[in-house]
Amino acid sequence: MSVASSSATFMARALHTGGNQDNETFHKFFECWIVEQSQHLEELVSATKDCDQEQLDGRNGRIVTQSELDERILRPKITQVIEHYEQYYRAKSRWAWNNVLSMFNPSWRSSLEDAFLWIGGWRPSMAFHLFYSKSGLQLEAKLAEIIRGLSTGDLGDLTPTQLGQVNELQKVTIREEKEISEKLAKQQETVADSTMVELSHAVTEAMRESGDDIATAADDGRVEASLATKEEGLAEVLRRADDLRLKTLKEVVSVLTPAQGVHFLIAAAELHLRIHEWGRKKDATRHQNHRGVGGGSQ
Amino acid sequence: MAEICCGVVGESESSCDSGSREARKRRMELRRVRIDPGVKRRRLELCSPRDCDNSLESCGTDTEVEVVLSPENGRELQSIRLPPILKPLLSSSSHLNGIDVEILPKFGIASVCGRRRDMEDAVAIHPSFCRREHETTVGFHYFGVYDGHGCSHVATKCKERLHEMVRDELLLDDVVESRNSNNWWKCVMERSFTRMDKEVVAWNENVVDSMTVSCRCELQTPECDAVGSTAVVAVVTPHKIIVANCGDSRALLCRNGKAIPLSTDHKPDRPDELNRIQAAGGRVIYWEGARVLGVLAMSRAIGDNYLKPYVSCEPEVTITERTEEDECLILASDGLWDVVSNETACGVAHMCLKGKAAAPPPSSLENEGGESSDKACNDASMLLTKLALARRSADNVSVVVVDLRRAT
Repeated sequence: MSVASSSATFMARALHTGGNQDNETFHKFFECWIVEQSQHLEELVSATKDCDQEQLDGRNGRIVTQSELDERILRPKITQVIEHYEQYYRAKSRWAWNNVLSMFNPSWRSSLEDAFLWIGGWRPSMAFHLFYSKSGLQLEAKLAEIIRGLSTGDLGDLTPTQLGQVNELQKVTIREEKEISEKLAKQQETVADSTMVELSHAVTEAMRESGDDIATAADDGRVEASLATKEEGLAEVLRRADDLRLKTLKEVVSVLTPAQGVHFLIAAAELHLRIHEWGRKKDATRHQNHRGVGGGSQ
Repeated sequence: MAEICCGVVGESESSCDSGSREARKRRMELRRVRIDPGVKRRRLELCSPRDCDNSLESCGTDTEVEVVLSPENGRELQSIRLPPILKPLLSSSSHLNGIDVEILPKFGIASVCGRRRDMEDAVAIHPSFCRREHETTVGFHYFGVYDGHGCSHVATKCKERLHEMVRDELLLDDVVESRNSNNWWKCVMERSFTRMDKEVVAWNENVVDSMTVSCRCELQTPECDAVGSTAVVAVVTPHKIIVANCGDSRALLCRNGKAIPLSTDHKPDRPDELNRIQAAGGRVIYWEGARVLGVLAMSRAIGDNYLKPYVSCEPEVTITERTEEDECLILASDGLWDVVSNETACGVAHMCLKGKAAAPPPSSLENEGGESSDKACNDASMLLTKLALARRSADNVSVVVVDLRRAT
């Protein structure tokens, strides 16, 4: 898969160069990654179709069990998709190490996505809404079968234990999400701490006295040092947020059977890809309108 | 279950059989997990010992409660075990004219946080919740669903205490001759609800300083005055179903496939409720639906001290004679009723109770708790919950299904 190697290539390159234009490179990485996600989505869909087919027709003239299908087809696919997500977060943390601010203001996201971001990514508790919405749709579609006690194999026939586990996981996730939000609040409030206020005053005064708009090199140094600690704090918050995102995704999948897990991953990919696409379309339209009004200027 | 989502402290169910040490230990572990790590450590330390005391205390007094709501491997949603203790004593009861006393009721529970960020529902189930020396109260089973608002602590208090109050009132000996009359039941329920309300209000006032609570509102006045809970309580006896309701949770009887509501939701725009509120000097303001003083979207509740007397804690009580055609009783919070009609709920429960008896589903690989945990009832409550979530219920969803069919 040529494209698959390319997101890995970007990562490798960033490791070597240390990433001067890290922002640019992560943007490219993201674009490769999302193409790969789209391919994974197709593979997930065809995996469920293959399973349905084999259950119907058998394999080489014999009956195929669900557990065989799980092990041979579904589990490897799930592992592959989860690894792809892991790769994304590994890359993200590497680039964040160089430039955390770009992760909070990601140029690779559309304004639509940007509006729904939580600490530079998707909100972990959203996974449960995705889960309930998808399982709800599948339940309604097959309510009659489920009441008759037939297994539908998808998210419609969650067992009580699974629902309990998801419920428990949701509780823990929301709690962690709130904790991280609090951590972010603390970080953001430090923008107006004594050091920053004192520094902004001193620099403003110095500029006024010298009648110059340019701060001295010494001041620049102090500013850099002060901001560096803030950025470190933000990087830590981002790291925890990304950890929670990946953990939530993995744990939801681990509660589900392989067949259900595939359905969940399909729904997650579909939502992510389509929102990205819709957002870009919206941005393009708005951009065009602006150009129209502005008389062709960029 | 309230515990699932909000980290409440304590649970009223306690096990008192001798073999329950293991179960209790497990519950303690669960409890430790349940305490919100987000709260300050100081409070956490205050919280745990009190919690343990409670569980031992209720163990001493509650010698007949046999339900153990315990986590299976810490993961089971809810599993219920009923050690067979009471059987010999009850089967010899001559008072009941040969009617088959259902000592161990069959029931199922599902309670989830759903699409809300906080869990404010609570469920209490106490089979044979009255002391055995009173033969007249043999085979009385208690089921309660509480849907909190503002915070979870009033619902939690109801879960811990309301059944005890109903039991206390039931066991008062002053009016023996009128026992079991409809009026007597009405008085029992009204007194219990009033006591519960008073206790909640008093508890709010007393506990503010001691900081022993880890719920969201953290009991800061005046916030804690703006916290309340619905309560729908059903006492199922060998002959009757007594339902007391306060708020917009609901009890529904499925009789021969037909849905018969045993409670009427207390909404501020219900004509009689509107009159009552206005007569008391209150107003109903339409702001995202009818609300008492523009605040609360129900006209009766436990708690909500600042809305008294417009919001009343007086329950409406219905008493229904049981018949051979009764299939099941459904108690649920509005997370279900907002999106599932009485008829649909009844239909789903009917099919689960009927269908499952004939053919167990292939998905039943897992062992659902102990011998008395009823598969069909659990399936019904679970399916109703899933249906509510499927229909985009935005609220917590709690459903209790009680099998009323006479054992054949």
